[in-house]
Parts: sequence; C-alpha cells; structure tokens
Amino acid sequence: MIYILRRVAFYLAAFFVAVTLNFFIPRIMPGDPSARIIASFQGRLNDAQVEAIRASYGTTGSLWEQYIGYVGQVLRMDFGISTVQFPEPTSSLLFYGATWTLVLVGIAITLAFLIGTMMGIHAAWNRGGFFDSVFTPINVMLNAFTPAVVALLLFYAFSLQLQWFPLGRAHSTGLVPSWDPQFIGNVLYHATLPVLSILIVSFGGWHLGMRNVMINLLNEDFVILARAKGLSDRRIRYRYVARNAILPQITSLALSVGFLLGGALVTEQVFNYPGLGKFTVTAIESRDYSFIQAQLLLLTMSALVANLLSDIANVILDPRLRKG
Amino acid sequence: MNKIRHLALMTAGLATLALTMPAMAQADRVVLTLHPIDSDALVENFNPNNPTGPQQMVRDFAYEPLWIDNIWNPDKDYPALATAYEISDDLMSITYTLRQGVKWNDGEDFNADDVIFTFEYAKANQDYPMGIDVYVEATDTGMVVSAEKIDDYTVKFNLKEPDALARFALGGIYPLPEHIWASVEDPKNFANTEIVATGPWTKVENFSRSSVELCRNETSRYNAENAIDCLRFLQLNGNEQIIAAMSAGEVDWLGTGLTDPEITFTPQSEFNNYWLPPGGDVNLQINTTKAPFNDLEFRKALSVAIDRDTIVDISTFGLTTHTRFPVGTGETYATWFNAEALEPYTWLMQYDPDRAIELLDAAGFVDADNDGFRDNPDGTPIAFEINIPNGWTDWINTGQTISENLQDVGINAIVRTMDQGAWNDKARTGDFDSYLMWTNGGPTPYNTYNPMFNPRNMEAGRVDYQAMHQMRLPEVEEALQAFRSTADRNEQMQHMNTIHTAVAENLPVIGLFANPTWYEYSTRNFEGWVTEENPYVRPTVFEGTRERVIHALSLKPVSP
Repeated sequence: MIYILRRVAFYLAAFFVAVTLNFFIPRIMPGDPSARIIASFQGRLNDAQVEAIRASYGTTGSLWEQYIGYVGQVLRMDFGISTVQFPEPTSSLLFYGATWTLVLVGIAITLAFLIGTMMGIHAAWNRGGFFDSVFTPINVMLNAFTPAVVALLLFYAFSLQLQWFPLGRAHSTGLVPSWDPQFIGNVLYHATLPVLSILIVSFGGWHLGMRNVMINLLNEDFVILARAKGLSDRRIRYRYVARNAILPQITSLALSVGFLLGGALVTEQVFNYPGLGKFTVTAIESRDYSFIQAQLLLLTMSALVANLLSDIANVILDPRLRKG
Repeated sequence: MNKIRHLALMTAGLATLALTMPAMAQADRVVLTLHPIDSDALVENFNPNNPTGPQQMVRDFAYEPLWIDNIWNPDKDYPALATAYEISDDLMSITYTLRQGVKWNDGEDFNADDVIFTFEYAKANQDYPMGIDVYVEATDTGMVVSAEKIDDYTVKFNLKEPDALARFALGGIYPLPEHIWASVEDPKNFANTEIVATGPWTKVENFSRSSVELCRNETSRYNAENAIDCLRFLQLNGNEQIIAAMSAGEVDWLGTGLTDPEITFTPQSEFNNYWLPPGGDVNLQINTTKAPFNDLEFRKALSVAIDRDTIVDISTFGLTTHTRFPVGTGETYATWFNAEALEPYTWLMQYDPDRAIELLDAAGFVDADNDGFRDNPDGTPIAFEINIPNGWTDWINTGQTISENLQDVGINAIVRTMDQGAWNDKARTGDFDSYLMWTNGGPTPYNTYNPMFNPRNMEAGRVDYQAMHQMRLPEVEEALQAFRSTADRNEQMQHMNTIHTAVAENLPVIGLFANPTWYEYSTRNFEGWVTEENPYVRPTVFEGTRERVIHALSLKPVSP
C-alpha cells in the first residue's frame, strides 16, 4: 500500500512539472498565432486592424499572470477556446480527435500486443524450431520498417490502385456517428488499412520482447520443479513461465498506452484519419497555444495514469512487490 | 450528380457500401463539391469574416459583395448587391445604387440601412476583419471616413483623400443583415450557425466533422439560372489526399498545388483537368540596408547570375511563367507594361554569368582573402542566407538553384530553411539577408507596388513581407500617390511606367518568375468550366476571387 501511495505522490509532482512545461514550451517557439492570420490577408488589412487582431489573439498581462490563470484553468479542467479556430472550444476538437485516436491506435496496440505476445510465447517454447526460425527474423525485420513507408505502400496498393479500401477518413461522409452495427462496420472498414500500417511495424517488438524473457525463464529452477511435479506443458507455459515473463511487457504496454494519445501522425496524414497526431501538428504549425497545451496535458495525464496502472498491475501480478 | 452515384463510383463493388446506403438515401440533388480550404476537422462556424476557414465557404456563395469586379474582363463586371456606382469628380466619394427587391433569406428586405450598419459595425469592431479600410483618427490611417444614406437604395462612401481605386475595395464590402448582427456583441467569436444572407446558397445542411453542405436559397434571384442545389465542402488535408479525392470523383473543383501534373494528376482520371494561368510574381527580396546588397552593381550582377530558365523548367516543375522585365511584377499585369521603355533593362533578366563576373570585378567585389569566395570592396567577407520555410518544395529548389548559380560566380550564398513561425518573425525584424517572397495581388499593379514601397512597411520590427528590401524610392512613392489620384487610364499608365522604370533602374528586388494560379477541375459531373480558351472569369476557388460565384453559377451538370 505504501508502495502505491509513494508512486501516487511521485505522479502528482511529475504532473505539476509537466503542466508548467506545457505552458512555457509553446511560448518559447518563435512566431505567434496572430502572425499567421495577418499574413493570410496578404496586406489587405490596415494598421489599426493589424493592431486590433494582434491584441485580440495576443495575451493580456505578464507571462506570470498568464501562467497563474492557466494553472487555475487546468485545475478546473477548462481548456478554453481554440486560439486559432475561435470560437470553437478546444475541448470539442480535442475529444473528437482523441476518440478516433483511441479507435485507431487502441485497436492497433491491442492487436499488436496480443499477436506479438502469443507469437513470442510460441517461439520461445519451441525455440530453434520451425516457427521460431521463420517468424522471429521476419517479425524483427517488419519491426524495422518505418510506418511512413508501410502506410504509403498500403495506401497506394489498396486504396489508389486496387480500390479495395477507401482513400481515408474515419467513416463515410454523410454518416452520423452512432452505435448501430452499420456505422461500426463502416468505421472498421475505414480503419483496416490505418490499423494494418501500425500493426505491421509494431507487433514484432512484442514478439521479440516476450520470446527473450521467456527463454531466460525456461531455464529457471521453478520451471524444472514444475516439470518434475508433472504439470501439463500448457499449465507450465502459461501459468508459470508466461505469467512471469509478461511483467516487463506490461510495463512497456503501459508506456505505449500512455503515448497512445500522441496519435499516429504518419498514418493519420496518409489516410486522412482525424486523429490527435494530425491535430497536434497543425496546432503547433499555427501556434494554437490552447490546443497545444490541452493536448500535452492530455498526453501527460494519460502517460502518468497508464504508468500508475502498470505499477498497480505489477503489484497484483508479482507478490514480491506487495511487502515493500 | 447525386450523392449516391458519387459514393458508388468511389468504392464501386463493395459489399460494405450496401450497408451504408440507407443513410445516404436522399432525393436526387445536384451537388458541386469544392475545396477552398484544408482542415483536419470541419468546425460549425459560418461567420463570413472569420479568416480561419468559414470565410472561404460562405463569402460570395452565401454572403454577396456589393460588386464583383471581373478582373480578366474589366468591361464585363458583375453587379451584385449594388447595380451601379458613381465616382465623384474630385475622387473624394463613391455612390452606390443598391439592388431593389433583394430579400435576406429570412424574408427581411435588404436596403441601405444594412450597408450603413455594416460600415459602422466595421468601425466599432476593429479586431473583426471585415476588409473595410475604415479611417481611424488616432493613428491617421485608413481610407473610408464615413458612409451616408442618401435614400433607401443609395449609399455614399466618403474618402479621406482622392482615390480612384477605392471602388475595388468598396465593391468588396459584404453587407451584413442589420436585424441579425446588431445584437451580436463580439463578432469575432460569433459562430453564426444560422446563415442569414442573400446569395444563391445559404442553407447549411448535413454538417459533420467531415463534410458540410450549403444549399439553395429559395429566395435568391439566381434561382432561374442556378443548376446546382448544394455546394459541398469536405474535410481534406494534404495534396496526395486531395488529388486522390478528385480522381475518385469526390471533389469537382480544387486549387491545390501540383508537382509534375502530367504524371501525378491527369493520368489518375480521364476527368481530371487543370489550367495554371500565371499568378503573382515571386521575387528575391534582398536587404538593401546592408552590404553587399546596398551596391547597385552587385544587385545587377545578382540578377544576371541567376539562371531563370532552370528555375522555371526544373526547380518549379515547369509550372511557373517567365518574367520579362526586372520590375518585380510580371504577366498578371501584362497590359500595364510599356515594352519599349523597358527594353533597355531586359538584359537584367537574361542568364549571363560572364557578365556577372565582369560586373563584380569592376565594382571591386574580388576574393581578397583567397577563400574561394568574393569579398566586399572593403575586404569583409560576403556570405548570405536565402530564407525559405520548411517544406515549400518548389521554393527550396529555386533557392538551391540560385545558390548554385551564385557560387558559380564566386558569391557565397546558401539556402536556409526554417519553421514558418521563425521565418515570419525574422522577416518582421528587418534583420536578414534575403528571402524568396511572393507579391501581393489586386486589380491593378498599385496593389502590388503600394505595399512594396510604402515607407510605413519598412519600420524595423514591423517590416512587411513586401517591403523587405527596405529601399525608399521617392519617385515611386510620388508616382503611386499620383496613380491613385486619377481615374484616367492613360495617366495611370504613365505613372506606372515611372514606377517600372525606377524599379528596373534601382533593382530593390530581383524578379524571378510568376507563380502559377492553381486551378484543377473535374469534368466528371459538371461542364462549363473556365478554360484557357474561354477565360470568362478568374477560375480560382479561393475567397478573394469574388468571381468564383459566377463560375459556380455557370456550371451545368453533365447529362448522364
């Protein structure tokens, strides 16, 4: 219990540091939102209008005062309105993007973790066998591909040439999001290629990680004991070896889930998928301070929460941690 | 073409599609899909003066201006909410006669009160960019002093000083309905989700984050000739996606950048078409407040050292247009050139590295410290940067060609790419070496030269993109003033010739090429597009081209 409380205190401190950095980093970047708006008028504004726009996009008060105001907003979970796409509330765009990112990256991470881990267990159990010597190298190679290349190849082959899949988007235009099976089917159909593009380059990592830890554990005394007791192969494989081997995997999974909300920029760009990665890059380019802050905050919180959950999961899965 | 057919074509033969059909079922409507702005998600905002996107969708199509100048065919203008205008003899005022019988789509009459309200509203809300150059006493800037109601359908705008060009800007006023906007306190942050306007398409339908439609205004005077029921705007971002969408029949009208269109665009679909008429010029803006750019001979050498043929044909994929004279503007203003008077300066636009070397040697730009590069006459080394934003491929190629050309004649110039924000900021400081820069456009070359030579644009800390050379030319300033003070085209020609000659003589900027005007269209669903053979209006899909509504109204569905 003390272990958990210590972790919680640590996460609160980390959260505060992150909140502070979220505020200052966008402001250190050169340029401000007004510059882009004014530039878009290509000289059609007069001085008074330029000044007025600068004033209304700019910020009032010193940096310190702005910071205090911002911390107050964070505590109230008020993200304000988008600095660039005013008067749209930042939260509405943020949650829209976050939803589709959860769909896209969530499915991709889950599938990658399941497929990779299962393949890893299988490969380690029969190490040196046919499965291990064929799939391990292939998966390592796939893992070395960059998402950009894979996404573009899939897009070119299946969307442009064969036209088996749509060019992009999360669902057909004109459909209203709902829970009915038709809409869900449409979403899955649209998500197929984007998910594949992430899946192909990521499950190899899980495979390799699981296989390596498993192989180490297979030589441990408790495995020999379990065999000596005459337990079934299946029971040893999953209840004894895999359960121990999965601990480091859970920690890495927590890290990936934490960064899940960072989105998958390249995939989103290629398939015009409305995820957070794309929104964030656009926000950074246009200096949409409130969106950048909100997105960084979301990312920080999800990373911290995911880590906390992995700490808790570790305590549950590993009795040795419960004492301290 | 109706929606179902659209979609069916795009994903033909897919079982999944059948599942989605019921939701798509809608009466046969003629829908034109156009793409004037990129976005990651559509936002429910139809504020006609919100520059972040909405104005691209609702100006011209829903909100009408007073007057639509036909820039390419000036004797065939399109009157919009005004039917006539009269410029007073002293050029101090313009009187507009408003169209009678026009109704806002909620049934209220449109009349002079709305126009007067719009002017006063712009004056009261300076941070709301309505595009009206209101005179402000505090800063002594602006052009339009007041708007007077003469009668219910006549409005007179009074100007600060004689201005023969004011009609272009005043014609671009988009009147707001007083009965709606009078109660809007903070127009900048007003989302205007229910459009009340007079144009051909005013009804917002089927809004989602990925598409929105603007449908027929039942009270519009255009209905007899208007064959299009709805305009559709899609969420799209990135050139590959946009071009793929047109090839698949999802979009009809685009203004997106192309590279190698004969390979990447036209072969993708038999219906894909493009035409890229020359647009505004691109110049090399050099900081003439510092060495070596403050030396005229150096600038001349710079100009002849650049291989513009390579830039046009290779760096910019052959899509740009050559510029004939070293005057900072090009073919968009072809009718304003006095070719005879400018003939003596054409050599400055010809690639001639030997001549550049001669000029540099003669002016004392020699390699004093034997590092392989020329130095200033006083011995200080020359090394300068050409600043270009990240990812602007054609410009980066251009910069690299220039850099190679200059290194060939011994000048150490390199391309420096940077984030667009940093690029913006650096420009304003006035402290830089050189930039590639577009020119502002407009109905007359005045709109290009005024920002380029207005001393107000050269103050350190607020240097305008156009005036980055920071060279004051009194004869140009005077000629600009004189140009604006006469409505006589011949006199204007003379003043413009003075400006051209002064620029060619002093080379404050180094002219390069004319950018293409991006225009792509699909003949899959519509015919009647503007073509090179029939350029009845400027074909650009973007806001700022008021004629675009005429273009849309001229389109007819292809018979199936």
